[in-house]
Amino acid sequence: MIRVIEVSLAIPDNEARTALATLRRLGVELAALERADLYRCDVAEADADRLVDILRACETVYNPNKHVLRVRADGRPGPGEVWIDEIGSGSPPGSGPISIAGRPLPGVVALERFTAWRLFSQGDRPASAALVSAATETLLCNPAFQKATS
Amino acid sequence: MSARVAVLIFPGTNSEEETVRACHAAGLGAELVHWNADLDAVRAFDAYVLPGGFAYEDRVRAGAIAAHDRLMTAVREGAAAGKPVLGICNGAQILLESGLAPELDGRVRAQAGFARNAPLGKFRSTHVHVKLAVAPERCAITASLPGGTVLPCWASHAEGRLAADPTTIERLEREERVAFVYCDAAGNVTPAAVPNGSALGAAALTNARGNVLALMPHPERDAWTFMHHDASRDRARGDTAAMLSSSGGIALFAGLAAAVRR
Repeated sequence: MIRVIEVSLAIPDNEARTALATLRRLGVELAALERADLYRCDVAEADADRLVDILRACETVYNPNKHVLRVRADGRPGPGEVWIDEIGSGSPPGSGPISIAGRPLPGVVALERFTAWRLFSQGDRPASAALVSAATETLLCNPAFQKATS
Repeated sequence: MSARVAVLIFPGTNSEEETVRACHAAGLGAELVHWNADLDAVRAFDAYVLPGGFAYEDRVRAGAIAAHDRLMTAVREGAAAGKPVLGICNGAQILLESGLAPELDGRVRAQAGFARNAPLGKFRSTHVHVKLAVAPERCAITASLPGGTVLPCWASHAEGRLAADPTTIERLEREERVAFVYCDAAGNVTPAAVPNGSALGAAALTNARGNVLALMPHPERDAWTFMHHDASRDRARGDTAAMLSSSGGIALFAGLAAAVRR
């Protein structure tokens, strides 16, 4: 089964603020921008809950003082969202034992990591596909070595 | 009056002092210029050096935010006017993110990037050598150097692997954008000399006109014998004059000086 675990900051995200300010200066009119780390895992059903527990216990992934960890119901980007990953990165099926920060992930047969950007227009509405595309092309993705999924 | 070179500082730049010293040693009138400097004052410089560091904390991607900084307006205009522009390490990442190199088809937009090192994706700090891989006159900053010049440098980066789609990589080589490649101390270009899995073993890219050079490793960190990494440093111990004598990295700044005066 596919399980997507999202880790975002509960404290102000300076990186997202810098990206938002830069995008506005470049003419991409967004009201807000949020960022999260995503771990998209193909995991055996029996190990899915244990996977979340392992990530919660991994302090380089999740610090309860500053992070929020949640399991996403969807395996794809939502409205106003774009996922960025590096081309050729991740651990595809058959690539051997998979781990995060040195911790083995039992039952996980494939792992992809993304940076998720959530873009908002005025009134906390998800940004339009055109705005997402403009932000992606202008700043969020370097297509020379990154891939954007929206 | 010596040529005036602006050594640009963004929040997070950390190699500006040694870069200025290397420029001074090469006879250039280098000055530190902060990101909030008056643009018209920045436009008055004869050349620009973007030093290493972590501009804007590498937020979004290494070099991505600085590439869109207002200070880069002056750099873009200067590059278009033919002024020499040298980016080192994070400065090289900024130049690729800004599209000032490699500038295929005359397009100033990101066509390549310095991605995470391969195979482990980790930061590396190691002494390296780079070899001039094009005819010296192909790039303004190398035009005064002998063909096949080998420079000693320190590689110090987590994102130094040249990456692009296969067609672009092939064009970078065919259209002479790869100015330096990694090599061993004797100048032999071998896979083992490449510290980061960089495509084509590339250490530096230039642009179409040849006045922009984006170099990943640091020549300013091997500019004097006390910074050098072979037996010459051991032989110089106890001899201050010998320790403060130039080592190979200074040659690139002499090349920059020659380019500015040309």
